[in-house]
Amino acid sequence: MTAIASRATPVRRSRGYMLVLLCLVGVVAYYFLLLIALTLNPATSNAASALALQQVANALSIGAIYALIALGYTMVYGIIELINFAHGDVFMVGAFLSVVILGGVLGQTSQITDLIPLILLLAVALVFVMPLTGLLNVGIERFFYRPLRNAPRLAPLITAIGVSFILQNVALAVAGSGDRSSPQIFPLRDNAWRWEIGGISIPFLSFFIFAVAMVLMVALQQFVGRTRLGRAMRSTAQDREAAALMGVDLNQTIALTFLLGGALAGAAGVVWGLQFGYVRFDLGLNAGLKAFTAAVLGGIGNITGAVLGGFMIGFIEVFAASLGYTRWSHFVVFTVLAFVLVFRPAGILGQQLGERA
Amino acid sequence: MRLTRIGALASVAVLTFAACSGTGTPGGGDNKGTIKIAIELPMEGSELAASQPIVNGVRLAIKDAGGAAGGYTIVNDDTLVFDDAVDGAHNEQQGATNMNTIVQDPDIVAVIGPLNSSVAKAQIPISNEAGVLQCSPANTNPDLTKGEPAKELRPAGKPNNYIRVVATDDVQGPAAAKYIFENLGAKSVYIIDDTETFGKGVADAFQADFESRGGTVVQRDGVPKTTTDYTSILTAAAAKNPEAIYFGGVTATGGARILKAAVQAGLGDIPYVGPDGINDGSGDTPDSFLNLAGADAKNSYSTLAAIGDFPQKADFDAAYKEEFGIDATGYAGMGYACAQIVIDAITRAAESNPGDRTALREAVRAAGTATDHTYKTILGDITFDANGDTSQKIISIYKYDEATNNWSFLEQIDYAAGGG
Repeated sequence: MTAIASRATPVRRSRGYMLVLLCLVGVVAYYFLLLIALTLNPATSNAASALALQQVANALSIGAIYALIALGYTMVYGIIELINFAHGDVFMVGAFLSVVILGGVLGQTSQITDLIPLILLLAVALVFVMPLTGLLNVGIERFFYRPLRNAPRLAPLITAIGVSFILQNVALAVAGSGDRSSPQIFPLRDNAWRWEIGGISIPFLSFFIFAVAMVLMVALQQFVGRTRLGRAMRSTAQDREAAALMGVDLNQTIALTFLLGGALAGAAGVVWGLQFGYVRFDLGLNAGLKAFTAAVLGGIGNITGAVLGGFMIGFIEVFAASLGYTRWSHFVVFTVLAFVLVFRPAGILGQQLGERA
Repeated sequence: MRLTRIGALASVAVLTFAACSGTGTPGGGDNKGTIKIAIELPMEGSELAASQPIVNGVRLAIKDAGGAAGGYTIVNDDTLVFDDAVDGAHNEQQGATNMNTIVQDPDIVAVIGPLNSSVAKAQIPISNEAGVLQCSPANTNPDLTKGEPAKELRPAGKPNNYIRVVATDDVQGPAAAKYIFENLGAKSVYIIDDTETFGKGVADAFQADFESRGGTVVQRDGVPKTTTDYTSILTAAAAKNPEAIYFGGVTATGGARILKAAVQAGLGDIPYVGPDGINDGSGDTPDSFLNLAGADAKNSYSTLAAIGDFPQKADFDAAYKEEFGIDATGYAGMGYACAQIVIDAITRAAESNPGDRTALREAVRAAGTATDHTYKTILGDITFDANGDTSQKIISIYKYDEATNNWSFLEQIDYAAGGG
């Protein structure tokens, strides 16, 4: 049984939901306490706390990006037990589409310091990119995975790796092999758009990315937990044949899952460009690997777990980098993964998958 | 890469054809047949921004020499431009593969390149054993020519075949340190390098000189080019309040990404200084440092390990612009100078009327590396020492100019004349 279906009654809050809530409350409380400490004693301006504060902001924004991508891995696995290796590359395509809409179509390459136009532009970018990456993901499912749905499990897996290479090489052919600038329309230099505290300044962008991710994730939770289509998704994940017998349209439900996953990856692509200012054809490789790890860490098939895993990977990575071990970040991330899996083979929030694992 | 392989095949075909038809006039007259000059550079992504000016410089020099030297017609078409980039960045293995292909073509009498010191490390053992003259317009790592590491690169122990027209990082790093400390007045600096032969080497030289001047290095990091997120590492650096950032590396190994992360971390208003690896073209050159950095480049400085203000610069810039329609940037002049040196060497080698291509290649190598010959190049008069290093040890300092959206020359420091 997969955990996308674990919340049989959506009103009852599951253990996983509570755990994530606890983590977030913890982070917010930590922020709040630091804030109070810094306000009460600005003269000494506790530099270490301020630095920690800024690193937490970094972790929240990169973690939010990983979490958004991880949701696509976990939903697809939950519903058809496929590790969709092309998913990281759908995210990469989203990042490129964001460059196309912001830089190419709207011709906006520099930062915008007026709030309303900025929000409008970002909304346009998200509204443009998310459906496109969603449809791309649906197309991938329709043409590559659906014909193999009843084939031995290795066949779709290898196909997924193949699709990943196809997307990468198309991007390579279209955009070339170098970095491409992505318009950073969210102001980063302007002090009015940074939170100056204790000798450290944090760009509001970090919080914006976190907020966008949270809104999307809560929306997804509500959709899966409360709507008719969400119920169809959960029942398909629980038992595909039984769901079909109960009148669930399997093809439609699976396509919907890919649509949602692709759209979230597209949103991750948009905020990636804002945060890092560049895109490249092999972006999906690293981000996809990390997000996949996040999904496994949280318990693959579990939506809350993917979010939790994404933020955990973000925090682990930033923690390693802030100590000067950037080149060890993969090592640290995968060591943590290994330890978690030794003690909880199904991931933090995952359930025992039995013979279907 | 694909194109290069086709290029290699085509050059084999040309060679076969030449072998059948080209040996008809041994020794005499004005037409001794055709010879080839190969170019070996990374020709993709951000590296292309640095490499294309060199290719253009070489082509312009060959054209200015009338396309011939010592009675030989010089061929340098696109099949003779070997590309060592893989997925947008230079690749040592590909560089070695290319050099193996090059040395097997007896018509190739000299190679101009590579761009990156790490690639040169992989190529020198091969070119040294084959005895092909190699002139680099851009390699600055001292270990390629000096001391024990240089000996280890030449296991065959053949006579020297490698020369370079640029100064080395043991002065390029210190020149940046001097400029940051004295001219920019920054007494504390954060250093980040790309962990490669060139980037780490130049950052080490920078650090040693900066500290010897009494400056403080608040933090030193080495981060490989595969990194995607530099934000947290720059945040940690920002907490130590450096007054400048020094980056050891090239654009393709993270130059612009690190700058953007620095802006993100709140370090956008302090000088960001890098070596010749980020001085790779104007803001209009696709994939160049300035192009990727955009407005974030406003406090950027870079060095070139060569003379920036050479006597014939105005003439060269005008001729270059007329030929290629763009401004000469980066190491264009050094590519031109390398080609001039190779052509000069071919002319002198031809005087002894070498019997066949093998003898010609050896004669060109001997002439090119001669320590008693003064080359008249556009960079000025140059001689090479026994290691293959140039007598011209000048580092030029550049700053990003928003008006022209390009690097603008500030000053040059002559280390041969006791500068620094």
